[in-house]
Amino acid sequence: MGDFLLAWRNIWRNTRRSVLTILAIVFATSLLVFMLSFQFGAYDDMIDSSVRLSTGHLQIQAQGYQDRPNIRKVIENPNRLLAMVTRLAGVEDASIRSETFALAAGPERSRGIMITGVIPDNETGISSLPGQIKSGRYLLNEDSGVAVIGSLAAKRLQIDIGDECTLLGQGRDGSVAATIIRIVGLYRTGIDEFDRTTMQIPLSDFDSVFSMAGGAHRLVMIADHLADAGRIATAVRPAPEATGLAVLTWDQLSPGLKQSIELDLVGGIIMYAILVIVVAFSILNTFFMAIFERTREFGVLMSIGTKPMRLVKLMLLESMAMTSIGLVTGTILGIAVTLIFSHYGISMGDSGELMAQYGIADRLYPHLSLASVTIGPVIIAVVTFITALVPAMKIPRMRPVEAMRAC
Amino acid sequence: MLSHMKKAVFYALIAGIFSFHPYTAHAATDLDNNGRAIVEKAFDYWRGMSSVARFAMTIHRPDFERTVVMRGWTKGRQNALFFVEKPAKDAGNGSLKKGREMWSYNPKINRVIKLPPSMMSQSWMGSDFSNDDLAKSDSMLDDYTHTVKGKKVVAGLTIYSIEALAREDAPVVWGKQDLVIREDGILLKQSFYDEDMIMVKEMRAEDIQQLGGRLFPRIWTMQRIDEKDRYTRLEYLELSFGDDLEDRLFTLASLKNRRR
Repeated sequence: MGDFLLAWRNIWRNTRRSVLTILAIVFATSLLVFMLSFQFGAYDDMIDSSVRLSTGHLQIQAQGYQDRPNIRKVIENPNRLLAMVTRLAGVEDASIRSETFALAAGPERSRGIMITGVIPDNETGISSLPGQIKSGRYLLNEDSGVAVIGSLAAKRLQIDIGDECTLLGQGRDGSVAATIIRIVGLYRTGIDEFDRTTMQIPLSDFDSVFSMAGGAHRLVMIADHLADAGRIATAVRPAPEATGLAVLTWDQLSPGLKQSIELDLVGGIIMYAILVIVVAFSILNTFFMAIFERTREFGVLMSIGTKPMRLVKLMLLESMAMTSIGLVTGTILGIAVTLIFSHYGISMGDSGELMAQYGIADRLYPHLSLASVTIGPVIIAVVTFITALVPAMKIPRMRPVEAMRAC
Repeated sequence: MLSHMKKAVFYALIAGIFSFHPYTAHAATDLDNNGRAIVEKAFDYWRGMSSVARFAMTIHRPDFERTVVMRGWTKGRQNALFFVEKPAKDAGNGSLKKGREMWSYNPKINRVIKLPPSMMSQSWMGSDFSNDDLAKSDSMLDDYTHTVKGKKVVAGLTIYSIEALAREDAPVVWGKQDLVIREDGILLKQSFYDEDMIMVKEMRAEDIQQLGGRLFPRIWTMQRIDEKDRYTRLEYLELSFGDDLEDRLFTLASLKNRRR
């Protein structure tokens, strides 16, 4: 306790230097807390909006469908499975989809297109697409012989709302599948590739046109929270209804999304590392200065019998005291700033409109989590401790007489 | 600036000289060294001048098998018309090939649809044959350079191995094709390689016998290389060559009206 008091007094011997060091730590800590919360929050938003456009948080498919989609790889009894998963805790909404590649032909032109059969009413709960109808309307449960199509696909086929479109493909039994549908709506998701190559028809139509005999390709689920996906997957896998089927989570369904997040995170980590290194050097500087300044003092203390290791301990106590003040203040400040922004959101400015097209909100909200609050401070604590250790370890090598002669 | 231009003109001239391909100049004389002549002979032999055929196409998958019986007419290298006879569910579905273009007809909706270029590499009626295999079979002659890689004599007949490499900017799917052709023009084997020169599928001809007045393989099998137990077998039930088919047989009207 005596040493601690001594350390505390030593810190305030040079107030300005200590305050500056503490401020550097405060700044770094609060910035890390805020940035990590912001980044994690943005990732959650990205994942959420992306899965709502296409894959959902989880899917059940026939084994091997994900790697090599094939119209014959079906879930045989999708409705029984759907009833089972909708009862599960944590599942917000679920629906069934079937899909295949086929030829779509307008009056003049024809193009290959991805046709998805959906249950219109359920789709509203699991997908953002029904909300992205540009003109016309989305499908209804009682619809038959109609389709909604991506706006760019419609342009390429030179068809519009009310026009007929011929579909030619292959059924599940290998037979030729052909039908004529009427376009009732055009959607625009902002993702050109999607808008250029996709079309949706009611699942009941899909079933009869493509001779599906009740089978479906994907059971898509939206979880209450992104973090629940893994837990739900574990709950579904052993169920008797899911025997022989693959249960996949969003990161398996769209590995590209996960990779782009990881790539972005690596970029962030590099920036944080630079920040931490700058703080570390500022602390290193403070302690080296302290040692040079106090060499004479250490010499005197050692010559009257103070053990060198006690001096090392004293130095470390000083550094840890400063770091602690900085960390606590910084974390509190970081949380406060994060809370303010998580309430008001951060406007994306001009790019907001662009993001809105992609189904991403035009304001981003940082998200406080245990990880985002603790990762930064812990790293800074470890780094400053190591940094303080370097100059402190010079003390045992000092020889009292020479040290006393130092200026 | 000026010297740059001079250089550019110089290189353009050099490039022009070398891009003049020697193949256009040489005459088709000796089969042994002329890959193109062998391939041409095989293609003419295969198609005859015109042919009428009935054949069964069996699509085999590990978990699935399906046989479709079809009737087909071909004339020269350019024209072909096919109709499905069996199973009843698909009867009347037709395909028309003219040059490099293809149309499909479905009786249920009574529509003719032209296949877009982007669909040409897709499978034909769910088989391991692609639309291209049917429509572009003569691109084999124009889009590839042919080299005789080897020959051997089996039962008194010379069998040539020919390597066909895709020309630089030819609009083709296959980077390379290997052909095994007998001296009488019978194509025994054709292997398809992708752009990375990895073999993707292989077609074999079997059961060579007298069909329609000439020797012809009765069974053709197209086998995928990457997947076991996945092939399409084409078996001729009836075949005759040399009937004089009218050109108007190979028209859209005929595709739509000739419901067999």
